[in-house]
Amino acid sequence: MGIDRAHYHGWEGKLRWPLLGCVALVRVALVQVFRRKSYWFVIALCLVQFLFFFAAIYAITQATVPVQTQQNILRTFGFSAEGPSGEESGYTRFMGRQSLVVMILLAFSGSLLVGSDFRNKSLPFYLSRRIDRRHYILGKLLAVSVLVSLLTTLPAVVLYVEFGLFTGSIDYWLNDWRSLVAVLVYGLVLCVTLSIMLVTLSAYLQRMAPIAITWCSLFLLLRRLASYLANETGYPAWLLLDPWHDIHAAGQLCFARHAVSVEPQLGWWSLAILASVCTLCLAALVHRVRAVDIVQ
Amino acid sequence: MLVDLAHVSRRYGQVQALDDVCLQLEPGTIGLVGNNGAGKSTLLKVLLGLLRPDAGHGTILGVELAEAGSRLRGRIGYMPESAATVPLLKGVEFVALSGDLYGMPHRDAQRRAHEVLNYVGLGELRYRRLEEYSTGNVQRLKLAAALVHDPQLLLLDEPTNGLDPAGRVTMLELLRDLIAQTGKSIILCTHLLGDVERLCQQVVMLDRGRVVRSGSIDSLRVGAANRFELGWEGNGEALVAALKHAGVTVERPGEAPMLLVTAPAGAGTGLFFELAARAGVVLTHLKRDEEDLERLFFRVTDQHPPPVHDHAPAPLAEGVAHGN
Repeated sequence: MGIDRAHYHGWEGKLRWPLLGCVALVRVALVQVFRRKSYWFVIALCLVQFLFFFAAIYAITQATVPVQTQQNILRTFGFSAEGPSGEESGYTRFMGRQSLVVMILLAFSGSLLVGSDFRNKSLPFYLSRRIDRRHYILGKLLAVSVLVSLLTTLPAVVLYVEFGLFTGSIDYWLNDWRSLVAVLVYGLVLCVTLSIMLVTLSAYLQRMAPIAITWCSLFLLLRRLASYLANETGYPAWLLLDPWHDIHAAGQLCFARHAVSVEPQLGWWSLAILASVCTLCLAALVHRVRAVDIVQ
Repeated sequence: MLVDLAHVSRRYGQVQALDDVCLQLEPGTIGLVGNNGAGKSTLLKVLLGLLRPDAGHGTILGVELAEAGSRLRGRIGYMPESAATVPLLKGVEFVALSGDLYGMPHRDAQRRAHEVLNYVGLGELRYRRLEEYSTGNVQRLKLAAALVHDPQLLLLDEPTNGLDPAGRVTMLELLRDLIAQTGKSIILCTHLLGDVERLCQQVVMLDRGRVVRSGSIDSLRVGAANRFELGWEGNGEALVAALKHAGVTVERPGEAPMLLVTAPAGAGTGLFFELAARAGVVLTHLKRDEEDLERLFFRVTDQHPPPVHDHAPAPLAEGVAHGN
């Protein structure tokens, strides 16, 4: 493994905008996640769920399937038979279920995507290039967001397109464009909240076990506690303690009148709570990244 | 001029990390040495455009300090001290990532990654995951990551840290070749003064935030021409008194029974024998002091080298002269 003098040449290209470094961070993060075989189990679960919904939409929209069977499928998958604009709850249900599985993936990948940068002292490597701390934070948030979108929003959009295609006319897309907007907004809420919370948590806890335990506590224990308090007191505002409920409620604000599982007034409170939590998390994240010395 | 700093200061709370630093460095290989807390890291941050000084001005690679930032880092390659690897990536992906983060187009970054990995001798290992690299190979990999965008200046932070003797020699050889072949300027920040001596033409010595010496290593050694090591048998105090009386500057390096003396200009070695005879002692060792960088560093920072806890008698130098 001697020095190969023949292969050293200069490079005289032009350097690009540092912001584009975020794209490299996203690309590397996806490589890392898809290269870890154990994560493929979780990704496969998402895929199976997507295929179920895909098949259900096919069955609903094809006249060859008996009406009774279609009604059963509609009820099972949450799609409404009330009319052309009644499909929102089906997409909500799909995205909700997908994001449950994504939560598991995120709980285990936070350490790999962010924690390892702090644990292995890789942050000086990133920050001594042309990108600065803002670009690093943005890149990591985008990486998690892309992962969440790939498994929730993108398949939901595919289902929406499929629904329109199988109805045989463009009326579905013209009449129900709000469903698409709702899917995208719900996806945005999921991406923003989950990425900010995960990156912040991972930057502080760094190792997989503490991140997974805290992540599960946030989304399972708080959910239990909020549900218990709401049931015992009969006061639904206790549900606001549950971040999962808040994400769901804020996302459902866009699913208009068929968002029956959440009280409308709680939706706005949920959005406010999520905005506050995200702001606090971002402040903590910036503080954590600033504390790292690039030259040690 | 590679670096031109004038009266640069930086304070962290009560700590004066850089104190009125004035530095002019020509392109070439420069060693940056100093104890922990001397201000090396702060100076590196200033050179990388990561930190603005509280006071002072200057240029690095012709870029004003006030404007230094990501633009400057595009012309500098930095090799950090820490392992700084990204899990599950392959060697070539890691180096290409470095190119991407420097702002290279992705295709160029990938092509250059292969080139520089071949150059540093990791061509055969480029498709291995970083977890499989040895410490020596990680150091080479970090060097490749710093070289990928073909920078004008390389800042190397402890490049031989954690390497075994063979790995250290290989890394130094690689750096020497890099200097010879590409003519890049290198600032080498290290605690190993031997590395600086072997690689660098210039040295910057920092102590408590101040530059205590800077310039070419040879020129810094010029002042050592009339310095001698002196060993004796007999009454040492009488000898020291006689030397001082004759205008000889006397230093005691640690606890060894050896004196470092600087004779007045024009005085020959005969002076020492004359003074020894007058003090009633016998000189057992007299050697012109060829000051190495380590001793130079201890001298200019007013420190003594740590005592060597060795019960063996002090070795007699080869150049013992009697009756000279």
